[in-house]
Amino acid sequence: MNPSQNPSIPKNAEGLVRDLKLMLLFTGKRIIALALMVLIGVYLTILIANMGGRVDELRLVQIRSEISEAVRGDLSFRELNSDERNRLIQRRVDLEVQRLNLDRPFLLRSFNYLYRAMLLDLGRAEQMHSDQGSREVHAIILERLPATLLLFGTANLLIFFLSVYIALWLSRHYGSLIDRIVIVLAPTSAAPAWFYGIFLILFFAFLLPILPAGGMVEAPPPLGRRDYALSVLKHMALPVLAMLLSQIFISIYSWRTFFLIHSSEDYVEMARAKGLPSRMIERRYILRPTLAPVITSFMLMLISMWSGAIILERTFSWPGLGTLIFQAIGHHDTPVIIGSVVIFAYLLAFSILVLDIVYGIVDPRVRIGAKR
Amino acid sequence: MSVMMKIVLPMILILGLAALIFFSFPKNEDSTTNLIGTEHPSTKQLDSTRRGALVDQIVFTQQGDIGQVVSLIESGSHHIFSQGITSTTVFQRLRDSKSADYDFSYGSSVELTLNPAGPHFANGELNPFHVPALREALNQLINRRYIAEEIYGGLAVPRFLPLSTAFPDYAHLADVARALELRYQHDPNAAKKIINREMLALGARLEQGRWRYHDRPVRLRLLIRTEDARKHIGEYIGTLLENLGFEISYLYRTAAEASRIWLAGDPGTGAWHMYTGGWIASRIERDLADNFSYYYTPKGRADPLWQAYRPSAEFDEIADRLQRRDYRTWPERRALMSRALELAMEDSVRVWLVDQINAWPRAHNARLAVDLAGGVSASALWPYTLRFDDQIGGTMVIGSPGLLTEPWNPIAGSNWIFDLKIIRALQDPPLLADPFTGLYWPQQIQSADVKVQYGVPLIISHDWLTIHRAETINVPGNAWIDWNSDDKRFITVAEKHPEGLEARGRIRIRYKDDYWQRRWHDGSTLSLADLLLPWILSFERADPNSPLYDIAHVPNFESFQRHFRGWRIVSKQPLIIDIYSDQIHPDAEVTVADKSPSVLPWHSLALGILAEQNERLTFSSHKADRLQVDWLSLVSGPSLPILQQLLESAGREGFIPFASLLKHYLSSGEAEERYQALTDWYAERGHFWVGNGPFYLHSVHPLEGSIVLRRNEDFPDPADKWLRFVQPEIPELVMDGPILVKAGQTATFELQITFQGKPYPLDAIDEVMFLLFDGDGKLSFKGKAEPFENGIWRVILAARQINRLGSGANSLELAVKSNRVALPSFASHGFATLPADESIPEGIEP
Repeated sequence: MNPSQNPSIPKNAEGLVRDLKLMLLFTGKRIIALALMVLIGVYLTILIANMGGRVDELRLVQIRSEISEAVRGDLSFRELNSDERNRLIQRRVDLEVQRLNLDRPFLLRSFNYLYRAMLLDLGRAEQMHSDQGSREVHAIILERLPATLLLFGTANLLIFFLSVYIALWLSRHYGSLIDRIVIVLAPTSAAPAWFYGIFLILFFAFLLPILPAGGMVEAPPPLGRRDYALSVLKHMALPVLAMLLSQIFISIYSWRTFFLIHSSEDYVEMARAKGLPSRMIERRYILRPTLAPVITSFMLMLISMWSGAIILERTFSWPGLGTLIFQAIGHHDTPVIIGSVVIFAYLLAFSILVLDIVYGIVDPRVRIGAKR
Repeated sequence: MSVMMKIVLPMILILGLAALIFFSFPKNEDSTTNLIGTEHPSTKQLDSTRRGALVDQIVFTQQGDIGQVVSLIESGSHHIFSQGITSTTVFQRLRDSKSADYDFSYGSSVELTLNPAGPHFANGELNPFHVPALREALNQLINRRYIAEEIYGGLAVPRFLPLSTAFPDYAHLADVARALELRYQHDPNAAKKIINREMLALGARLEQGRWRYHDRPVRLRLLIRTEDARKHIGEYIGTLLENLGFEISYLYRTAAEASRIWLAGDPGTGAWHMYTGGWIASRIERDLADNFSYYYTPKGRADPLWQAYRPSAEFDEIADRLQRRDYRTWPERRALMSRALELAMEDSVRVWLVDQINAWPRAHNARLAVDLAGGVSASALWPYTLRFDDQIGGTMVIGSPGLLTEPWNPIAGSNWIFDLKIIRALQDPPLLADPFTGLYWPQQIQSADVKVQYGVPLIISHDWLTIHRAETINVPGNAWIDWNSDDKRFITVAEKHPEGLEARGRIRIRYKDDYWQRRWHDGSTLSLADLLLPWILSFERADPNSPLYDIAHVPNFESFQRHFRGWRIVSKQPLIIDIYSDQIHPDAEVTVADKSPSVLPWHSLALGILAEQNERLTFSSHKADRLQVDWLSLVSGPSLPILQQLLESAGREGFIPFASLLKHYLSSGEAEERYQALTDWYAERGHFWVGNGPFYLHSVHPLEGSIVLRRNEDFPDPADKWLRFVQPEIPELVMDGPILVKAGQTATFELQITFQGKPYPLDAIDEVMFLLFDGDGKLSFKGKAEPFENGIWRVILAARQINRLGSGANSLELAVKSNRVALPSFASHGFATLPADESIPEGIEP
């Protein structure tokens, strides 16, 4: 029977409308689920960043302590007697408490944080400033973003493409000497990048020394663009190398295993039996079906760049987001902590949504699943 | 094979690129060679015509990892670090390095804070530290030398008293301090005896070596800070107490976690018994009289722990008198301080342990004046003394843990120590603090005269100022005492106090004759408006009707106003100013420094005033948050385009802030010239920070974390003006004398006082006190050593003084007080006394 005459099989136009409806339904459900996920994630961050309100107590002690010491250490107030001095301290403490809204209950403030966060109104930091001097959270975060993207983007892209490329080659040379070396070296990734960073600094910055120990550019920064770029490249060399050393072998190993599993599928064996060239088998029979997980992995890798890496950045004095979050936690600066988490949450949700839509388009099972 | 080549080729390319980058840049070693040229003359051959700073450029970079400091100096990339080292591991590395050197500072201290609540906590548990005698016994239980030498690896000195061993009051009271230190020296058996006695008196029982109270073990909660060596101190003290039979709970906490417990919590709940506390002084404190009130009485602080303090009536009264400076003469003060020290030891709600030593790293060929209390960060003289040993000029690279921490503006900008350190190089204040004594020396002023009422304690140490006393000091009617924000004019004393006004003191300051010829970094000349505008702002910002009103400024202003009694300009050329105040510091030099007004460039302040009036930027952080605008920064960030816009309009309109008053103090065309100079400055430098110090702010790189200062070539002072302050001349003592003395004989002991092998001049020594202790450790006699010649002092003990000692081992302790450093030096000599009829054993030289 001709499929076009089968009433159970929709015509092209009907099929398109049905698919579109299913896709819209699917996308709507995903958006609601993701919005809920972001809402819960952000509120949990607010609660955790404030330790359920206990941070207020810490900050009150800190404020009083800092003001007490500042007043006592100020030559202008040395002649005040203790009553006058304590009165002065109390007034300054009251002003600071008022400025930070610590006189309002934490629960109210937490909902205010949440409301503004969901609207992407990041507000003002309580203690911190951008290096340029702005207190706007978006300015603080955006100022550090390029440095993080540059370092982690370079390293992660290098690691990703290098490992996929090498893994593909190894999957064809399973059991070769290089394959065995990679397997042996895979456990070295148990050590984090900053660990390798320490040794690299010791060797390249202090023993040789041919590379800087830290920072993003030399001081004072070179005036010309070319010199500036070269200086940044020079400062990037060690952290990128540290990340590469830390991740490359395990990454190659897992991709290699992944490709090996797929290269032993029946349809790949069939292609080989047909005598197709190995490059074609690689492209059409191995890479194409594995494209979805590869893209997912790539997207998640891109998002992970947002958070930076606290210890690595501190090891190399790299002025990125990781250092910023570390400082924000140290200062108990809730708006900055929430700001960086909110943006990460939105980016993650957006990426997942895009991936879901792509899956829905390429894989009918996904959108039918939505109907059910 | 071809695929293999495809993998290898990119790797080779990456490596090639990396190699290209490596070799296209000079190695760090090379950059050092550039920085420290060999063709320059030595600083020993300093050209007497050179003015201002001794280096041409300073580059500040952000460097927070203390572990890298020595390696960075050795690699030549950095020369100085503005961060003190307290880690023994890093210090050992610094000490062993051939390229690095260091200076010491003594500003921080460690103590054991005890919880005196009780005798029972709210949970019914016993608190042994409620008993003063038991607290006092801890002084003898703890071996401070062990802490200093073993735990701190020599980066600390034992401390017993609430006076820093590096500050002048300790030197003034050296004899009293020494006697108390010997009384409370390490004697664990004596301590154990007292603790046992007091525990039994409290009703506790010692069963099988463990203390029990109401059939439960006596548990002590020891709150231990984990960030530094205090962790080991806590463990050491815990072990000592465990050995005495107490059960110890070790509570390891960071600063923030611990402060909730010991500082904010109610001590009566029993959450802790002991806490390993620490204190920091960022400059040499010349007057520590209020330490007793601050550390031992409820008046010290409003926190719950302080409210649990119950000092004895006598101690409370003396502490209160000292903090109010209720004494009329120095001997009276000394008597009060001496007694307060004894009572503080008897009270012992704090057991002082050590004064920490910070090592400030620098390259071997780099030097600068380092403050004995605050190190490099707090030194006022660092920009005037910074130099290379082997050249004049060059670039100095300084690592700092923080840069541009908060926005910079001179009214209410960043007060972070790392920022202030840099700002200090850009300003030239009227007086500069001596880094070794804490006294002030004149920089922009010629002389000063301090007149105080009889009975106000005041001492003078330098000859650049004079003091007078009077029965009453009347404030002249034409002196300015307040500000009328509506009419924009000063209010005189005659208006505000028609009945007349008295003050405790008058400070008359005469500035240098050429003061008005000096220039700001942008080339404009100083004027009286630069002096007046900061005063006006101080009043204006406290007035609720002013658009510049800032509630955060009010508490400080009100405290100032409570003691301020007026000021007036006596003469414009030379500039002479009288300031009337009820606040008089016991050191005349410090009083003058505290009261001397400084100048600020009125034209850059004018932009800030305009910005705040228009609610676009504010001077203070608090007001910025209230108005939801940016905090004014003259050096970077979103403030700059706003200020540039305001500069254009101010220049066009010839804006003069508070014009009704200030126009009388401006020369014709001054406003136009100033705004033009600032416009040119901004075009060239990209910021609005204009100072008058030995360095100007050349460039600011906030994102890259670096700041560049360059030498101000127009700075009028000779480059070597302050070089005598590069090294603290701490007296080095060697004691010589007989080791056996027969009763009835006199004995002469000789003390050599040197510095770097050279005799210490007699006129640089204030006094050499000696204390003679008998075999039981009791003070037998005290007196003053006599000068013999430069670097040699003698103690001659008469026969009757020897006789009083009886037979046995004695100790002669000497305390040397120099007027060049606050830090006293000590020496001791042990000798034995024999009965008159006993002969000195053979082979022993008396």
